Amino acid sequence: MSISAASQSYDLKNALTPNRFVGLWRLMTGYHWHYLGATLGVGLAALAKAATSFLLRFFVDNYFQPGPHPYPLAMVASGFVILAAFEGLLSFLSGRLTAQTAEGATRRLRNYLFDHIQRLPFSYHRKMQTGELIQRCTSDVDAVRRFFADQAIGIGRIVLLFVINFVAILQLNVKLGLISIVVIPFVLLTSAFFFKRVSKAYEDFQEQDAVLTTTLQENLTGVRVVKAFARQQYEIQKFERENREKFTRGKKLTLMHSFFWPASDILCGAQTLVGYLVGALMVINGEITIGTYLAYMGLVVYIIWPMRNLGRLIVQTSTGLVSFNRVMEIIKEERESLDEGDYLPQGNLRGEVVFDHVSFHYEDRVDILKDVTFSVRPGEVVALLGSTGSGKTTLVNLLPRFYDPTEGRILLDGVDITRYPRRYLRQQIGIVEQEPFLFSRSILENITYGIGREVPMEEVEAAARAAAIHDVIMSFPRGYHTLVGEKGVTLSGGQKQRVAIARTLLKNPRILILDDSTSSVDTETEAEIRAALQELMKGRTTFIIAHRIQSVMEADQILVMDQGRIVQRGKHEDLLAQENGFYRKIYDIQTRIEAELEKEIANAS
Amino acid sequence: MPPDYFEEEEFETRFTGKTLRRIAGLLAGHKGTVAAFLVMIAAVSGFDALFTYISKLAIDHGILESNLPYLYRMLAIYGGLTVAQALFVFGFIYTVGILGERIRYELRQKMFNHLQNLSLSYYSRTPVGWIMARVTSDSDRVADLVTWGLLDLTWAATNILTSFAFMLYINWRLALIVILMVPVMAYVATEFRKRILKEYRNVRKINSKITGQFNENITGVRVVKALVREEANAAEFSVLTGEMYKAAYRAAWLSALFLPSVQLISAMAVGFIAWYAGWSFEVAGLTIGGIQAFISYVTFMMWPIQDMARVFAELQHATASAERIFSLLDSVPEVADREGAYDPGSIRGDIEFDHVTFYYEDGVPVLEDFTLKVKQGETIALVGPTGGGKSTIVNLLCRFYEPKKGVIRIGGVDYTRFSLHAIQSRIGVVLQTPHLFSGTIRENLRYGKLDATDEEIERAAKLAGAHEFIMRLEKGYDEPVGEGGNNLSVGQKQLISLTRAILADPEIFVMDEATSSVDTLTESLIQKGMEQMMKGRTSFVIAHRLSTIKRADRILVIEGGKIVEMGTHAELLRQKGKYYHLYTRQFRQEMEEIFDPFGESKPVVQPAD
Repeated sequence: MSISAASQSYDLKNALTPNRFVGLWRLMTGYHWHYLGATLGVGLAALAKAATSFLLRFFVDNYFQPGPHPYPLAMVASGFVILAAFEGLLSFLSGRLTAQTAEGATRRLRNYLFDHIQRLPFSYHRKMQTGELIQRCTSDVDAVRRFFADQAIGIGRIVLLFVINFVAILQLNVKLGLISIVVIPFVLLTSAFFFKRVSKAYEDFQEQDAVLTTTLQENLTGVRVVKAFARQQYEIQKFERENREKFTRGKKLTLMHSFFWPASDILCGAQTLVGYLVGALMVINGEITIGTYLAYMGLVVYIIWPMRNLGRLIVQTSTGLVSFNRVMEIIKEERESLDEGDYLPQGNLRGEVVFDHVSFHYEDRVDILKDVTFSVRPGEVVALLGSTGSGKTTLVNLLPRFYDPTEGRILLDGVDITRYPRRYLRQQIGIVEQEPFLFSRSILENITYGIGREVPMEEVEAAARAAAIHDVIMSFPRGYHTLVGEKGVTLSGGQKQRVAIARTLLKNPRILILDDSTSSVDTETEAEIRAALQELMKGRTTFIIAHRIQSVMEADQILVMDQGRIVQRGKHEDLLAQENGFYRKIYDIQTRIEAELEKEIANAS
Repeated sequence: MPPDYFEEEEFETRFTGKTLRRIAGLLAGHKGTVAAFLVMIAAVSGFDALFTYISKLAIDHGILESNLPYLYRMLAIYGGLTVAQALFVFGFIYTVGILGERIRYELRQKMFNHLQNLSLSYYSRTPVGWIMARVTSDSDRVADLVTWGLLDLTWAATNILTSFAFMLYINWRLALIVILMVPVMAYVATEFRKRILKEYRNVRKINSKITGQFNENITGVRVVKALVREEANAAEFSVLTGEMYKAAYRAAWLSALFLPSVQLISAMAVGFIAWYAGWSFEVAGLTIGGIQAFISYVTFMMWPIQDMARVFAELQHATASAERIFSLLDSVPEVADREGAYDPGSIRGDIEFDHVTFYYEDGVPVLEDFTLKVKQGETIALVGPTGGGKSTIVNLLCRFYEPKKGVIRIGGVDYTRFSLHAIQSRIGVVLQTPHLFSGTIRENLRYGKLDATDEEIERAAKLAGAHEFIMRLEKGYDEPVGEGGNNLSVGQKQLISLTRAILADPEIFVMDEATSSVDTLTESLIQKGMEQMMKGRTSFVIAHRLSTIKRADRILVIEGGKIVEMGTHAELLRQKGKYYHLYTRQFRQEMEEIFDPFGESKPVVQPAD
């Protein structure tokens, strides 16, 4: 059965309800009938199983006396096979339907989360830890999947088995029915009591497992330190301690199990025994037939024994619910829309940018930008010079609307930036970071990542040449198809940056943001990168985030930033002329360094 | 080495007698326990078959003959056996559970102990993740096999045998016919199990891909947003989850088909029994109790069979796990004490690299015919490009590796004649990326000298310049450093690492200086600490900071595994060669960092005046 596109695109926000069971039910939207079908299948299978006992009664009561039989013997015999086949078929179908529900709903949940997370605003990503998010999207999602696949249907199965077999026994004999459930509350109580404790002991065990893993990992990654101090013996003792603790906790867990199972065995065994005794006496007194007695023996098993697992299922359900909550907390967050906005120009931007008394702060209300005002003509180069934390990066983050200003406005070609759809803005803006993030795909895929069209190979190579990275790529064994990252090549910071430059050349944006803030690149590649950047900046409005005078000297406009404010602005010469300015200070330092160096060398010779 | 050598493949292996014998050897020290749990599980299993037989007797001679005393007697035996069985159940869960934990514990410890002896070369070619998997999941799997696996097999075998015995006793003709279903069931069950296991392996593989995708998309979210790649990413991810759906669905429906199929086979046997019984009642007489017993034996038979199938399916994986564990335990340390290795009591003295050649991989020499003499107490700075061979020189000196050709002498003696412990316990090493262990600062410092008193620790910390920042921490020396020392800054970690080396009071000092800049204050503290350290000790420093370089007695520019320039700072500057270029570039960079008005820390030296 295929899953309809409509149900795959069901908005999971609807599953946000105060009642978690309603939420889980809504998470199954599109699979409700599957799920009900699965439950029905479980019920019918239980019914078939019960019917087998009735067939046995009929058989024993009718075929063990001399005389004519109501039906041919072979028919009764095949009755057993048919019932089993029916039961098997139903439990198989029910299993399939359950799997469709669980896997289908989980697939939708995974897809939704993946898409949701990449559309959540930066303010969310800023406060959430990657590890935490990933854990929620993987292990918590899996716990929800298990809830659908095992617990929800498992509890249903036990309840249906109980009801059907209980009703069946009542059919046989009311007295037998009533005495066969006496022990059930005790079984439930013991298993609830036990599983609550066992899950605690299990947590302790897992906790120690994590400690042991950390100890091991630290030893392995720190192997040089261990060897350097010749501390092997010490490490062995340390590991032994944690290892033994895990052993001890494992022992405790085992001990609990070894008490529970025999205890519940005895409870269930006692119940069975009482039932047998009462049943046997009833047969002897002629109250029931021997066939009824055998049927009872067959049915009662399915009332008592499954109850032992109910405790486990309930405990697991509660962990499933906790996971569900953790997942829903992500879904609860609001996405930022890519297409919202009432102003969508035909064609490209010209690239005129105006910051009009812009301020910005995060949720903690500490101003990162304060009253920033400046304007840039199309094609101009603006350099932002300042320390880490001075607000340079935040300022450029406002352009693609990664964040919106908390006060003031930004005009792009004369129109307030918030009126543009984010998708359009981001297509018009290119960002080249100092050490860009590359995906573990081939270099080719990284270069064409997000271009949004089929790019012919010649075009890719042309861009790579312009970015001075083509030769580097060709030196790899698989050329453009070389994988980046763990399974392929590791690129240096400068190489990564040039891949990003090639990508941006292909993207051909109207506004460019360049991060050029650190200086520790080899001199040879520095020249290459500079040339590639010059190529990239041609005809685009460019924002350069810089740290050093050399990178900003040519800019049409230099903004010197400190603590969220623009403290100086102008061209290189103007700023140099301002005796007490920050800019002059930086410049002086650099000149002075050269002088010092000369002195130093002179001293040596 | 093929690149996918360490791929986390769960490969299947053929059953090799040798591996199986070795796995069985894990139980060698626990023969008594094993015997105990095997007897207990056999009893539990035999009792199950016995219960059915007692029921049969109760029906045939108690109920049908209205013999009340007989009935009571049978039920009393039944009750007594239930209690006895429960005791055995307790016994076997307890013994086998604890034996399992014990074997896990032993396997882990054995591997860990062995790992401590393995050379760095092993670590450099084996990913940490691979080793971790051996110590954690593989040892679990093998321990499960020799405990619960063995238990399940015994249970199943006993159950089948005793059931069969009772069936034979009740009616041997019928029993012989019915037993024919066992091989059929076993075959079906095994085939199912194998396929199901394979599907689940597939599911796990896709699952790790999904995790990888989440990871990348979250860490790279800025790029995704900037390039408006959301839709394409979601589409790609949906393909992956589609694969997951298919694999998981297949695994689930195979599992769903498994039990009914086996059940159907036993139902056929039940049908046959009914037919035979109805027919033979008229001819030879199979009792009602006998039918009941047969039906319940046959119906129950599927459980031991499916259990055996499971164990056999898992056996393949467990042997694969065991082979990996054994491969780890069998790897021989490449650097080890020679026969008659001794501790000279001190390794002070001149150090000599005499025509040393070294390579990590055949045919790719890192050092070639390298010769160097260092006087006791001298400070040597090693500079040059990454991959030039600086770290290798230090690695050889610490005897993490040994020369492939040539000799290294300490105090005139070939150092391979000393014990490893003699050398490594007297060399203090400070690494570029300082590695701390979870625990408190004090514990980390004490790593340098296990029996150091608190006063000694404090004295060393003062000497290294670490005391002040430690005292500023909330709990001082008892402040936890976090996993891998993550609660501390890089500079602080370096200070701790330096203090640790000072505390060890080594005879030779080796330092791999960090390239990453720390704030100026910490930097000057580290410098001071290093000076203390180098006093009177032969020191090797892979140097980046100019102050360290200038202070060295000799500077070696290492490139391509050779010394290309050697001399004092002034001598080398005058040469205007490689060192000169290196120095001027580093000078500009350092000065910019010091004078940078934008630096994260306020400059110590005011640039304006």
